[in-house]
Amino acid sequence: MSGWGKYVWAAIAIAVLAHFAFIHAVPRVMMNVALERVSAINGYNAWTFSDRVTPASRAIVRPSPDFAYSACAYDLSGGPLTITATPWGSYWSLSLYAANSDNYFVIDDREARGGAEITLARRRQDAEGSAATIVTSPTIRGVALIRRLAPDVDSYNAAAQVARTDVCAAFTPAS
Amino acid sequence: MLRRVLAWVAAVIAGAVLGGVSAWAALEFGRSSFFEDYGAWRHSRATGSAAAGPYTRAIIARDGLLALSAREALYFTIYQDDEGRALDETCIYELTGRQFAARWWSITLYADDNFLAQNEDHAASIDASHVSVGSDRRWRARVSTVRGDAIYWLSSRNARRDFSLTLRVYNPQRDFRASADTLPTLTRISCLGDVS
Repeated sequence: MSGWGKYVWAAIAIAVLAHFAFIHAVPRVMMNVALERVSAINGYNAWTFSDRVTPASRAIVRPSPDFAYSACAYDLSGGPLTITATPWGSYWSLSLYAANSDNYFVIDDREARGGAEITLARRRQDAEGSAATIVTSPTIRGVALIRRLAPDVDSYNAAAQVARTDVCAAFTPAS
Repeated sequence: MLRRVLAWVAAVIAGAVLGGVSAWAALEFGRSSFFEDYGAWRHSRATGSAAAGPYTRAIIARDGLLALSAREALYFTIYQDDEGRALDETCIYELTGRQFAARWWSITLYADDNFLAQNEDHAASIDASHVSVGSDRRWRARVSTVRGDAIYWLSSRNARRDFSLTLRVYNPQRDFRASADTLPTLTRISCLGDVS
């Protein structure tokens, strides 16, 4: 190949690679930012109860003032986790998001009136001995999110009390 | 030699820029294919949906990172009044609707920057818990900078021009059907400077 042709072909090849790299990276980079924000206060494998959404809230765009949020940035590199969501008098749900942003698990109060308890593992065999529902995470890291319907100050404060009993911690097999 | 090095550097830069721009354009174009319009309300099927491939995943992440799944909630947003004009805090609007075939719903007002409007009115949203329908089985709310005699009110104070309203329908029932008839209507009543 002579002249400018090789440079043009090189630019095209790099453009194709950059295109796919960009598409691949968008959800992962955004989730990485979310993981850093969620883990900034209490670190990984611990719930963080978010402040009530007000006009001063600037962390995420179009925040919903309807919910009290508890978020746990999880990391399964040290083994499975026990995740529980204490029941709430109104709508609540527990959602799990992988590091590529996929929402791979959700359970709400219609399915789990008495609250939810799961063992979150990378592989099913890692969670042997678990009496709870075993959920396998597609990625080592991710985010667990509990939403409790709490559209006013009183219900938000009540949700804050309930959220104290939620668990996001290392799984201990029954002996 | 220097000319050759510069040519390679230019090729790499041009390729990277072209790749980035084409990816951004693909997401912008692909994103619009997820839109569904019901009257003036816009719904994105990307929000809360499951990813079917890398493009869909990137679009979902951009439009609804950590959003509730579509089974749990549906989101609709309105940016224009009944005559297609951008929403403006210098105007007064009436929002009317029926109850939805859903467990709960709320409508929240966002300023032009996509955050809650910077005011102390505590009237950023209305919801199913507090709104009652009249004898015509419709509820009515005012969207304006002051409450006046309105029973239900969404404060647009400091929302500026190009604000928007988002309707969230939680646990929609099987017979919930989004349409221009089932979703609320937003009517402009008057604007500052209107000639009467």
